[in-house]
Amino acid sequence: MKTLIKIAWRNLWRNRRRTLLTVASVVLALVLALFMRSMQLGSYEQMIKAGVNQVGYLQIHSKGYWEEQSIDRAFFDKDSIDAALKSTSGISKTLPFLQTFSLASYGNLTKGVLVDGIKPDKEDSQTNLSGKIVKGDYLTKSEHSVIIGDKLAQYLKMDVGDSLVLIGQGFRGITAYGIYPISGIFHLPSLQMNSQLVYMNLKDAQAFVYPYQEGLLTGISVFLNDPDHLPQVKKSLLTKLGKHYEATSWKVMLSDILQAIEVDNVSGELMLFILYIVVAFSIFSTILMMTMERSKQYSVMISVGMQRWQLVLVSMIETVIISLLGVLIGLLIISPVLYYFHENPIPLAGSMADLYLQFNIKPVLPFSVKPHIFASQTTIIFILSLVSVLYPVVFISRFNILNASRH
Amino acid sequence: MSIIETKGVYKTYNTTKVPVNAVNGVDLKIEEGEFTAIVGPSGSGKTTLLNMLSGLDLPTRGDIFIENTNLKGLSSSQLIDFRLNNIGFVFQAYNLIPVLTVKENTEFIMFLQKVPKRERQKRVKELLGAVGIGDKMDYKPSQLSGGQQQRVAVARALASRPKYIIADEPTANLDSVSTSELLELMAQMNKKYNTTFIFATHDQRVMDKARRILTIEDGKILKDEQFDR
Ligand SMILES: Nc1ncnc2c1ncn2[C@@H]1O[C@H](COP(=O)(O)OP(=O)(O)OP(=O)(O)O)[C@@H](O)[C@H]1O
Ligand SMILES: [Mg+2]
Repeated sequence: MKTLIKIAWRNLWRNRRRTLLTVASVVLALVLALFMRSMQLGSYEQMIKAGVNQVGYLQIHSKGYWEEQSIDRAFFDKDSIDAALKSTSGISKTLPFLQTFSLASYGNLTKGVLVDGIKPDKEDSQTNLSGKIVKGDYLTKSEHSVIIGDKLAQYLKMDVGDSLVLIGQGFRGITAYGIYPISGIFHLPSLQMNSQLVYMNLKDAQAFVYPYQEGLLTGISVFLNDPDHLPQVKKSLLTKLGKHYEATSWKVMLSDILQAIEVDNVSGELMLFILYIVVAFSIFSTILMMTMERSKQYSVMISVGMQRWQLVLVSMIETVIISLLGVLIGLLIISPVLYYFHENPIPLAGSMADLYLQFNIKPVLPFSVKPHIFASQTTIIFILSLVSVLYPVVFISRFNILNASRH
Repeated sequence: MSIIETKGVYKTYNTTKVPVNAVNGVDLKIEEGEFTAIVGPSGSGKTTLLNMLSGLDLPTRGDIFIENTNLKGLSSSQLIDFRLNNIGFVFQAYNLIPVLTVKENTEFIMFLQKVPKRERQKRVKELLGAVGIGDKMDYKPSQLSGGQQQRVAVARALASRPKYIIADEPTANLDSVSTSELLELMAQMNKKYNTTFIFATHDQRVMDKARRILTIEDGKILKDEQFDR
């Protein structure tokens, strides 16, 4: 074995330039593949993270709410729900909310809005909403006021201190009505949110929608310590809550984002595929030339008593050395780069940025450094080189030693 | 018992339009310690016969026995192992593995035979000394002359302790000085180790050294002469 490795190693360095070129092509492919993958998957992770940060890993609703988001499918926050949440392990935080559509008017201007009743402190600690205030103040617990997006303020020609009139459908067919002073104006990355959202205290929202009984909610966002525990948490919550409730996971709630990701991912994979074909071809042609030019040497070796499988082994060792070298050098080069961009995300512009903003995600590009990306790209390169070694395997096991030594 | 015995050996090539009987009924016995040349005009079947005697090729008809083994009965990988353990080779060209040093080349077959390292090194030293390359053990083949390369090939063939050594025109690529040196060497080794040598040649000088000359024409043995030298 040692001698076989020695032969393989020296074979490779007999034509130093060709070997180095082949190694370089492996390096280049791995570097490009990892760069592309890390960037792409990093952006997906970023999107999902931002999305989950907004809606939670799962939400508890009254059964059927997610399908048809009507205020009539709101539910009252009962002790049993609190108990269920408290007794389920793995939950890091819960955010109750009450959302309802309503008309907002000021002066003679009117616009449809989404009223979102939240717990100001809890919401802030999750999404840093107070940091998005561009004018006035964030919601306080006691105050009977609202904050609105800057686009909405602009449309309704309102400013901090003006009073917003909200009219909508309340719970159980009543009319919801209220006047709220604007304490602050926020600016979120998403245009849609800036022109539609009205945040108020959960208590105020509950009084707005149904003043006769406290504790009305449309949902509770649930955050987890470890996202991997989602299935268990979901199952456990559903059993405890019973059949009148549903637990909707982020994959359902963020299906738009996931779909956009999937479409985008296909193009990325296509690029990778092309890249791989190029490397495979490069490795293959080197192996092919090495095999062809050595057919005389091979025939001598078999004549004197070397088994064909031993020659096959030599070829395989050569290929493994090439790809191993390529992969190692490639990883050495690209890893620091990826870690750098992981720590210092690239700011985005243009249509990509718009896409992010639509989903209310900060338009930056952090690179992913998940181990599976490295593992999968490296594995693919190895598989490719093993495939290219099939040629010498077939060649060596078939070729006629007498023909090869004749000329 | 003879080390090689052929019985009614034929080799017919059907690759051309007219079938060629390259070897056309050869019955032959070769005894241990022979130093035998096979001579004959180009195309007379020397290479074809040697290839069959060395298990590189099988007869179309007839049998070849190496001591008790009928080569026909071996699978192709058994045949490789048989060559490894019984037959030494010196080819006309492309003899040595270019990426290995002289010493490693000489060791190579013993390595395939799984000869222990200590023994390998002992034989390498002895044989490379005997063929006069002892001071160039770490050279690559490309740094040696053709004659020197052939000496290494002889050393390599001997190192594996074969029953006999087959050499197809071993001097064809050599100048006259190297030719006589190599012949002298082979004759010496033949005496020293009592190793059987069978070689094909066109070269009169080579014939002059042989103790037995088989003359072959159109695949048939015409003459079988013994010389006392
Ligand atoms: N693979 C083959 N296919 C067809 N014909 C072949 C093949 N090998 C040899 N022959 C033919 O068999 C005959 C004997 O060839 P061989 O090579 O044994 O002759 P040789 O005595 O070694 O000649 P030389 O002195 O030129 O080396 C020739 O007519 C040759 O053309
Ligand atoms: Mg010949």
